Amino acid sequence: MKSFMRGAWRVFELSLGEMLWSRRTVFLAIVVGCPVLVAAVIRIVDSIGVAPLRINGQRMDFTAIFGVMIWVLFLRFIVPVLGVFYGTSLIADEVEDKTITYLFTRPIRRGAVLFGKYLAYLVCTTLVVLPGVMLVYFLIVPFQQIGASFTMLLTDLGLLALGLAAYGGLFALVGAVMKRPLIVGLVFAFGWEQFALIMPGYVRRFTLMYYIQSLVPHAMPTEGVTSLLQAFFTNTPSTLTCLVSLAAAIAVSLALAGKAVERREYVLDQ
Amino acid sequence: MTKRTRLFVVIAAGILVAGLGTGLLASYMNIQTLTLIGGNGPEEFAYVPADAQILGFANVRAVMDSEVRRKLMELHPGADNADRFQERTGINITQDIDSVVAAVTPDVTDAQGPPLVLARGRFDQVRLEGFAREEGGVVEDYKGIRLITHDNFGVAFVEPGLVALGVPAAVRRAIDTKLAGSGNVTGNNELMQLVKQVDGGSVWGVARLDALTGMRIPAEVKDRLPAISWLSIKGVVGSGIDGVISAEARDDQAAQDLRQVVQGFVALGRMQAGPNHPEIADFLNSLQLTGQGKTVSLGFSIPSAMIDTLGALRAGRRPGQAQPSPAPSPEQAEPPQPAPPAL
Repeated sequence: MKSFMRGAWRVFELSLGEMLWSRRTVFLAIVVGCPVLVAAVIRIVDSIGVAPLRINGQRMDFTAIFGVMIWVLFLRFIVPVLGVFYGTSLIADEVEDKTITYLFTRPIRRGAVLFGKYLAYLVCTTLVVLPGVMLVYFLIVPFQQIGASFTMLLTDLGLLALGLAAYGGLFALVGAVMKRPLIVGLVFAFGWEQFALIMPGYVRRFTLMYYIQSLVPHAMPTEGVTSLLQAFFTNTPSTLTCLVSLAAAIAVSLALAGKAVERREYVLDQ
Repeated sequence: MTKRTRLFVVIAAGILVAGLGTGLLASYMNIQTLTLIGGNGPEEFAYVPADAQILGFANVRAVMDSEVRRKLMELHPGADNADRFQERTGINITQDIDSVVAAVTPDVTDAQGPPLVLARGRFDQVRLEGFAREEGGVVEDYKGIRLITHDNFGVAFVEPGLVALGVPAAVRRAIDTKLAGSGNVTGNNELMQLVKQVDGGSVWGVARLDALTGMRIPAEVKDRLPAISWLSIKGVVGSGIDGVISAEARDDQAAQDLRQVVQGFVALGRMQAGPNHPEIADFLNSLQLTGQGKTVSLGFSIPSAMIDTLGALRAGRRPGQAQPSPAPSPEQAEPPQPAPPAL
């Protein structure tokens, strides 16, 4: 176990720098930068005395705007997208670049390589996404409302980190066992999950978003038909159920991904 | 780890720590309770005791001058009994009253009487006293203030242009509260937090739900009330009505359940409204459900056009309702005579 962790740490150190300064990080910066930009525009518009957002003539509360941004931009889009793009590439990129041999010939277990890369993904994404959310919060929410809404921010930050961990783990498994993991990942995140959530019955229990959404402290936005159907058919599991389910999903995904990497024979195209 | 990677990690972690630190400090100091952020409600609060459980305010002037009121009066021309009231009391509701503050305190609940009402405006004290005496009222002097009582109702002219009405015990306590200079509702932080959220509306109200359940509500209904501790309503009346109904649930789970119930009803309403009822669909589309943690808020907007549509619908129904089915003529009422047999 000790040698596993030491190996994972070495891979983590190596991979973190690679991930942070890769082209994929530019995409990550753009994705996270957009909400910050939107928040800055909202702040500027408000400072000149114009209501930044109105729904049917009614001014929207700033805390509510922040809640909508967490729901629509971060939880429904940014977290799954980052999970898909980074998670599926943990092993697939090394295979594609034909550099996996260099890692697998080191005196460390293959599972430690995957775990170290997963840790690097988690640190890289959380260190970009969470400060981004923090900036959005301080730009949007007025200072006098911070005291009342701060516990919500803490919940949001924890939830985003948990979402990144869950999606990253699942797509690390997809990347380890499938040949075209990106397509499968996108279909899962934006096809299956969206479809299953609006279906009545037990189907939605086989999505990650079901458990993540149930933990969100903000009200679900009701702007679309999908949201309405979700609200109509939803039955919220308890917080403990959500946390246990997400932890189990992360543990099982990583264990299976590790096993797959240990056993699979990667054939590199010549 | 390279130097620039370390630098990035330090900067990102620094933003997180600084943000969390600021938030924690703001939360610890409870910054939102500082008075510099908002006013302490209407001046009439000086008369409202700190143990008030329900508070309401209406900017009567704004409501009376609004287009909504004008349209509603057109819809219900006979609904305004202002002329008769003015004739007897000398008070023209549409012109003489500027604002009204209402409060329910334990005195009111115990006496099962009307709430304490503080009305600001222009009043003819002599005429009002005369009217009260005619009705059998007794005029007394309470701590230098003229108080008229009749059965379970009292009126006091507490300031020039300000009258307090309600259960005599509640009116006396309001006078005591003002004279004491402390112990009024502005010291009730829990209630004032809610007031600050709704202050600014033409009409608003805040209530502790257990105060409502303490009133004469059947036990079966009480048991089925949602787990809500506070309720607030704010409305801005102008050419239309914009409003927000907020509730503070007892815990996060209760709030989440309540949000889902409301969302379910909204979804059901939209399905029911369909394309055949655009006026209802417009209203349902204006509903905006928000909230965090224990708070659930439902915003709504009734545009001027919707009131016009309702008026048109009502006007459309009237002819049908007004036209009684024509009475059958005597000729028609009698069955036709059988034709004589042909010879």
